[in-house]
Amino acid sequence: MSKIDGAIYEIHYMDTVANRDQWVNQIHPLVKLLLTILYIAVTVSFSKYDLAGVLLMGVYPAALFVLGEISFRDSIRRLRVVLPLVCFVGLFNPFFDRTPIAQVGGLVITTGMISMVTLMIKGVYSVLASYLLIATTPIEKICYAMRLLKIPAVVVTQIQLTYRYVTVLLGEASRIMQAYSLRAPGQKGVHFKVWGSLAGQLLLRSMDKANAVYESMVLRGYQGEFSYASRKKCGAKDYLYLIVWVIIFAVIKIR
Amino acid sequence: MSHIRINFEHVNYSYEKSVPILRDVTFSAHEHESIGLIGANGVGKSTLLKLLVGLNLGYEGTISVEGMKVEKQILPKIRERIGYVFQDSDSQLFMSTAYEDIAFGPRNYGLSEPEVQERVENALSMIHIEHLKNKQIYKMSGGEKKMVSIATILAMTPDIILMDEPSIALDPRNRRYLIQILNQFHHLKIIASHDLDMILDTCSRVILMAGGTIIRDGKAEEILSDKELLEANGLELPLCMQRR
Repeated sequence: MSKIDGAIYEIHYMDTVANRDQWVNQIHPLVKLLLTILYIAVTVSFSKYDLAGVLLMGVYPAALFVLGEISFRDSIRRLRVVLPLVCFVGLFNPFFDRTPIAQVGGLVITTGMISMVTLMIKGVYSVLASYLLIATTPIEKICYAMRLLKIPAVVVTQIQLTYRYVTVLLGEASRIMQAYSLRAPGQKGVHFKVWGSLAGQLLLRSMDKANAVYESMVLRGYQGEFSYASRKKCGAKDYLYLIVWVIIFAVIKIR
Repeated sequence: MSHIRINFEHVNYSYEKSVPILRDVTFSAHEHESIGLIGANGVGKSTLLKLLVGLNLGYEGTISVEGMKVEKQILPKIRERIGYVFQDSDSQLFMSTAYEDIAFGPRNYGLSEPEVQERVENALSMIHIEHLKNKQIYKMSGGEKKMVSIATILAMTPDIILMDEPSIALDPRNRRYLIQILNQFHHLKIIASHDLDMILDTCSRVILMAGGTIIRDGKAEEILSDKELLEANGLELPLCMQRR
């Protein structure tokens, strides 16, 4: 499978996971979106030396992995591009902040090391929380929740259409690359002389395809804003889920 | 004669002024009719269908659907009456699951969720694809996608169905199934296709186009058995007639 086809597969896979019938997938999307925002806000609000507090916040992603029956290993594999970037934050702290606070064997633990690890964990947790939101909630429902939060329709529609059109763009890119590689055997990558024409083709074809998708939408009554399915209100289960997590976050924060 | 649903009167259309796509096209279509729109590549079949649903505007002449002139202000009403099945199902289907895609139209027309659900289930059962309800679009075969495409328009409960090359890329079994399904519909159908055998099996009337104009409009059996006429216009007899 080419890298582009792999990317398309990953997007579709996430759709599949998000549309499963798990208990956590059935929680109201607004509750899950609010909790994700709150979780990230609480996690990043910890002091850079409060490693214990940050570690405790791991209970939320851990619970979602279990409740949603989501593979931790697959998730880390999917996030392998983002996680190193996140971990890069705070990488230089040990060099600038050298105040010793403990010694383990021959290793002197400095505040810089603690703050580096804390920042890395905060970053990883924040990415994981966003990932878990996407893995347990279809994009249409996330967009619906965003509309409930009064985020402007034009912004939400942009997000939803970008998500939908990215596979269209990738699909066209894949077809072009296949056609190219079949007539350029033995070549690694695309020769720089044809970059321009390939990029132009990709743009034109993607526009044509996107236009066809748009035509299909307007023929079925689309007038600039998606109508969402999840018009159901939050139930007792949703409120309970929200309250339990808010209490847990509060306890960890003020302990 | 039964109620006229579609009327084209002296319609001319071009993307660029120097290159006319449709020239003086005039015809009417009545309820329950099944019309095959045939012709070689580039004669304007798809353009004609797109004009009907207002995807192409700026034409000369008069096009009316159910007595309403096709113009920008009235397009939502017209599009509620007409279901358009695209040639490429991948362009027609853009939501994650069959259910979501079929529900897209009814939701946009403001139906409540129970009504939407009823519409989706009716559409699925009309073409016997209830088993695809929660299937993800990207996991579907070409035949399944075509059936779901048809269900997306049936959920809008249209009076008129337009189809652009419906049998393209279907294997023989799915193609045969499509023909069965089309023959069950009592809507006014206009089917643009090169698959003349399918047209013969599904349509009682044929409109033959060439060079952007209507060359012949008549009974399917008569036109599709006229070898000279078909060959003069870049077509061939349907396979079943070649064997006779």
